Amino acid sequence: MNNFVERPKYVCSMGGAVGTLSVLPRTVPILHAATGCGGNIATALNQAAGYRGNGYCNGQALPSTNTSERDIVFGGEERLVEQIENTIKLIDADLYVVVTGCMVDMIGDNIYSAIRNAKAGGFPVLGAETGGFRGNYYTGYEIVLKALFKDYVEPKSEKNPRLVNVFGIVPLQDVFWAGNLELIKDLLAKLGYQTNTFFGYGETLANLKNAAAASLNIVLSDTFGVEAAAVFEELHGTPYISAPFPIGDFGTSAFLRTIGEALGIEKAFVEKVIEQEQAYYYEYLERISDVYSDLDLQRYAVVVGDSNYSQALTRFLADDLGWLPEIVVINDLLQEEQKEQVLKRFEGFNSGLRPTVIFDTDASNVSKHVAQHWGQSGGQRYFGGFNPGFVVGSAIERDTAELLGVPQLSVTYPISNRVVMNRGYAGYRGALSLTEDLVTVLIGNR
Amino acid sequence: MDYIEQKIPPIREDRLKACMAYGGSCEEINRDAKKGCLYNNNRKFSQSQGCQLTLSLAILNTIRDSVIIVHSPIGCGANLVAQAGVSKGFQKLRDPNAFGLRWINTNLNEIDVINGGEDKLREAVLYAEAEYRPRAIIIMNSCVPALIGDDIEAVLDDLRPQVSARLVPIHCEGFRTKIQATAYDSVYHGILRNLVGDEYRSEELIEPLFPDEAEELKRQYKISRTVNILNVSSMSRTDEQNLIDLLAPLELNIRVLPCYSHPDDFADSFEAALNVSICATHDDYFAGHMLTGYNVPFILRTIPIGVANTNKWILDIADFFDLREKAEQIIRNEVIELEKAIAPYKEILKGKTVILGGGEIRIITMAELLHSLGMEVLGLRGFHFDQYGENLLAELIEEVPESERVIMNVGTGQPFEQANLLHKYRPDLFVGHPGGNGWANKQGIPVFPLFGQAFQYMGYIGVYEIARRLARFLQNTNYSKNIGRHARLPYRESWYDEEPFAYINQEEEVQA
Repeated sequence: MNNFVERPKYVCSMGGAVGTLSVLPRTVPILHAATGCGGNIATALNQAAGYRGNGYCNGQALPSTNTSERDIVFGGEERLVEQIENTIKLIDADLYVVVTGCMVDMIGDNIYSAIRNAKAGGFPVLGAETGGFRGNYYTGYEIVLKALFKDYVEPKSEKNPRLVNVFGIVPLQDVFWAGNLELIKDLLAKLGYQTNTFFGYGETLANLKNAAAASLNIVLSDTFGVEAAAVFEELHGTPYISAPFPIGDFGTSAFLRTIGEALGIEKAFVEKVIEQEQAYYYEYLERISDVYSDLDLQRYAVVVGDSNYSQALTRFLADDLGWLPEIVVINDLLQEEQKEQVLKRFEGFNSGLRPTVIFDTDASNVSKHVAQHWGQSGGQRYFGGFNPGFVVGSAIERDTAELLGVPQLSVTYPISNRVVMNRGYAGYRGALSLTEDLVTVLIGNR
Repeated sequence: MDYIEQKIPPIREDRLKACMAYGGSCEEINRDAKKGCLYNNNRKFSQSQGCQLTLSLAILNTIRDSVIIVHSPIGCGANLVAQAGVSKGFQKLRDPNAFGLRWINTNLNEIDVINGGEDKLREAVLYAEAEYRPRAIIIMNSCVPALIGDDIEAVLDDLRPQVSARLVPIHCEGFRTKIQATAYDSVYHGILRNLVGDEYRSEELIEPLFPDEAEELKRQYKISRTVNILNVSSMSRTDEQNLIDLLAPLELNIRVLPCYSHPDDFADSFEAALNVSICATHDDYFAGHMLTGYNVPFILRTIPIGVANTNKWILDIADFFDLREKAEQIIRNEVIELEKAIAPYKEILKGKTVILGGGEIRIITMAELLHSLGMEVLGLRGFHFDQYGENLLAELIEEVPESERVIMNVGTGQPFEQANLLHKYRPDLFVGHPGGNGWANKQGIPVFPLFGQAFQYMGYIGVYEIARRLARFLQNTNYSKNIGRHARLPYRESWYDEEPFAYINQEEEVQA
């Protein structure tokens, strides 16, 4: 179905391209787009992604041709050549990527000929057609990755058996992307692997350039980055595996076993790593057993978010924390096959919980789904309902939580009511942070 | 001014000959403006800015009891996600039951680009009506439907009999103009055409069977004492209340529009003696049409920021009602008390240097305020420059010694020019438009936001609050110092050796 979207939780494909490139080290996007595209994206990505700031060269600093009516009529290629040349002259970067907005794509400016005609002085300049009508943020992420794999990653004849690449954690759209990638990298290091995450602290463009040496691409998603990983395999011969984004003991232990198997790691070694991590995890998780038991901190829950987070959060809440996340609302724009794939991730919970998963892009409908599932009070004396309840979603779910009279935590985009720096929720250690944040909300009034 | 019969309002490049790219001094821009040679809009290198759609939302996301439909691919209006909480909070200050921000994006995709998006718009309007029963549904047109030829006016005309909400189309397609302030004209155009007039009253005017002359006289008297104060969404509720309180001794009936209003509040807005703007950039289109269409005169001269401009603002209103003496009395009392209160802060601020950036009206008046506190203004960076800036700047040059030598740079955002200026002049403080202030901070310079909805900036209390906060800012500047030591802006070192205005297509355009 392709309908209007009520309070969408993503910007367009150009936004995804800009967001993704903006956190790639030493990389600067050049927008060939209408006046305003850059500014619109900048606000959405800065203030609604946990105040990640304007970074190195984002927000108002993003180079943009600011195409207007005249360029639409006469074509804007000449202006683009000038903008590319002057961007290189002024902005210090190692990679420049031209991305396009709707108007430019519709009038058919040839950005590739502009890129060829621009005097780049030896600096690499790539191009990607990302006009917003092509899709949402995730589409932009996918388009950009494909362009980089095709035009920037160098072919490698030999694979490094100890090197893997990680995709599928979509920067900024996953507001905790930086922390999550660090946590995943640490986990894989414990298995004895070196990991390219491409985005995040300590990563370099050289990692990306040499990524074809990796022996496996791990896509931490069933939906995002999968197409790009297939392109990578076709071009560079590195196979990929799709594994669900893990939060908590049950999710992460399963993740480590899956990866261990894919990489042919000795089972006993994987189990040893899992045991060590579990020891650390339960050492801390145990701390709340008093407050959990004294105050009754078990909750019914609604999980609202994208397909990556919703399965991870639901499994963590149900299997690790012993909560009852009975309703899950996924806001992504997905194909039917993708939905089927995503639904599988909600099966086989250790707790036995079988959540109802609903694909719905309209934020207002969440409270309706809750009412349908738990019933609505008609003022009767004996009434169960969504009580005690909890909403795990985005800042938009504050309205829903207010309506339902339950607490809420913003974990998925947009997050305009929290500052997020290096915090991550992935793995065992991330789940401890998540537990801290959830319980802090519950005891916030004490 | 009379564009109201047109479906789409003109752009400011044409209507106001506004300029978006300039580098020089205040004296030079004043001279060039008088010669009428300020049509520059282009740079050889440019950075991102907002468009009219993004800026239209600054007013539209405040309108209560309404739903916004952004008719576009999924990204347009995405900045709303960052505003939802703030908008709701401020709406509730006017009406505790206000729902807050509700919006829908029509999600135009590759197929719609070929087949047209009118059906999706129709569906979205009907959904908004059924789901929320709002008083108004505001439909924002964007670049894509404009280019593919969606006739949104026809769609809405067709839908009007089917819905109870007022349908308000806003033609704010981003690519039409580089001057994002055209947004205000687009918004007011939609409001004037679809919310103002007897036919939009919430209760119908019933002609009395026997005309009551005394009642009619009372009504006319009330109208003759009614002033519309046109607010801006960048001001605080406290600012608004302060201005109303300041005017209290004049015994006027004050109506505040357009921000945080209910759609019904516009219907009888023409029943007023005077429109008073707080910011000409914001209001000249509305005020101009209220004069042409309803014979309501206006005052657009200045914003009540700083003593000099607050005085002018009050006196202009008082003069209109022939109440100058009362106004002078207000001013005398206020100023004596204020001067005493800010004296200690002036000691701290004396001689501190500052560069300002933002909207032309705010930066010029803020510069006067900072000068009056003893600070030295080194430069001004305006988003754009037109006749309203020109008039205010002429007053500044006349009233503030040596201000003609102050640097004047015009550009929406363009932080690379700002970085160059700040590197060369190293002011003690930067005063900037929220959204791009971090750049100055990363150069180690403390930043005072040019406006903020949580603080007071206007009237006499605004002067006190600004002075007090500035002194606080300078008391500990360690955060900016720390960040300045460790952060790096993206520009090559060679850029700082160049002229700050090297990429403006200045001469070429002037000659043309």
